[in-house]
Amino acid sequence: MTIEEQLIEYAKQGKLLTHKCTDCGFLHLSTAYYCLKCGSKGFEDIVLEGTGSVATYTIITVAPAGFEKYTPYAFVVLQVDNTDLRISGFMPNITTPDDLPVGTKAKITGFDDRGIIIEKQ
Amino acid sequence: MTFVEKVCVLGAGSTKYGKLSESIADITTQASVSAIESAKISPKDIQASYISNVFGVADKQVHLGPVLMSRLGIPEKPSLTIESACGSGSVSFREAYANVAAGFYDCLLVTGVEKVTHTGTEWTTTYFAYCSDFFYEGQAGASFPGLFASMARAYLTEFDATEEDFAAVAVKNHDNGVLNPKAHMQKKITIDDVMNSAVVASPLKLFDCCPFSDGASSVILCSEKFAKENGGDYIEVIGSGRGGSPAALQGREHLTTIPSTKIAVADAYKMAGITAKDIDFAEVHDCFTIAEIVDTEDLGFFDKGQGVQAVREGRTKLNSDISINPSGGLKSKGHPIGATGVGQVVEVFDQLTGKAGARTVKDAKIGLTHNFGATGASCAVHIFQSV
Repeated sequence: MTIEEQLIEYAKQGKLLTHKCTDCGFLHLSTAYYCLKCGSKGFEDIVLEGTGSVATYTIITVAPAGFEKYTPYAFVVLQVDNTDLRISGFMPNITTPDDLPVGTKAKITGFDDRGIIIEKQ
Repeated sequence: MTFVEKVCVLGAGSTKYGKLSESIADITTQASVSAIESAKISPKDIQASYISNVFGVADKQVHLGPVLMSRLGIPEKPSLTIESACGSGSVSFREAYANVAAGFYDCLLVTGVEKVTHTGTEWTTTYFAYCSDFFYEGQAGASFPGLFASMARAYLTEFDATEEDFAAVAVKNHDNGVLNPKAHMQKKITIDDVMNSAVVASPLKLFDCCPFSDGASSVILCSEKFAKENGGDYIEVIGSGRGGSPAALQGREHLTTIPSTKIAVADAYKMAGITAKDIDFAEVHDCFTIAEIVDTEDLGFFDKGQGVQAVREGRTKLNSDISINPSGGLKSKGHPIGATGVGQVVEVFDQLTGKAGARTVKDAKIGLTHNFGATGASCAVHIFQSV
């Protein structure tokens, strides 16, 4: 499997695959090929629960092709629990900002034609 | 770095920005001809061209360089097309700058162009999303308004700012754009107009967003020696900087700062030997209202979180503390993405050579251009001085 396919497979199980640098310990999303901090190429796979809180988001009403049928929907940047990592994804069933205060607990729940799916917990 | 030559902008020209009926090849040539005529040179003086363009495929013409050079009667001269999303124009300008500064060429044509409006809102929105880190952003339904709306939401959460403050940026830029005959949106608007416009990606509304535009802009870049011996009015490039940021917003340490801007401007200030306080006016990348506020902080004009206060107090209006986007900016002048970075240089050239008419920044000597690609994943900043 490619790097992207591996991340997708874990996302489908509600998990987040990450890469921990074996030299300096810095944690990355698993699409990293070299360490951001020390430039090392050695990584250990760490599988996280995919839980976190909403760092920021938007509710999209004018969508790119293929997403019109889902509007309105949220694009969310999730702060992953107990890490400095963030990951973006698609959040269904959000219509107004009142539905999603910044800081709302949320979790990766899958992957499909809407990319990585993140849902409120 | 050793610079062999001082680099000058000798001539500049743009088509009107907006919905244009001509082909991409036609508008590319029109802008180039206007720059050549402004420079008072012959196409035969041009040694090579740098073309910035992103979506040529949408108008059935990639490999624009040879087409342009053939129409200019110099098909034997080399050309290069550069893509760096919405920052293509400034990146192309920078590459041309480096070649003249190094003494490799004496006279270059730099032309930026985009032709997309005929594809319609849905497909333009879709094409633009291809400029994101697609695996994480575009694939999850993020549009560009959506990505900047995410920055806007973070700014509203972190700082004392309101959606009306964002709207004030749009109102200010439209006030300037009304004075620019080449602008796409030559129309005054009010805070209420912005607040009542349709939501595109909350908290951003239609009038928080720049329009999709067609257009082309062009400049002649040359050595000081060439400018003195061959041409008309010219200005000097005194600073040039480039920088990068994590491609996806999620990878940024702060969601309300664009790292590439800070890196690029630090380099440009250092080269010019000046600070933010020395800038008389700036053309900054206001693709969305929130972007201009973030830009003015990242460029060092205001402290972090204070950009919004500066807008509230009118300190960025034409001929106030620092005139931001006297051209109308991307918001009102328009945003033909491959042309924008070059178009900013056209505005600075016009300002510093007394050709800016009713939107002239009074007594201006030093102008700055700031242009980035996508959400600021790539950026170039240039500083210019009148001679």
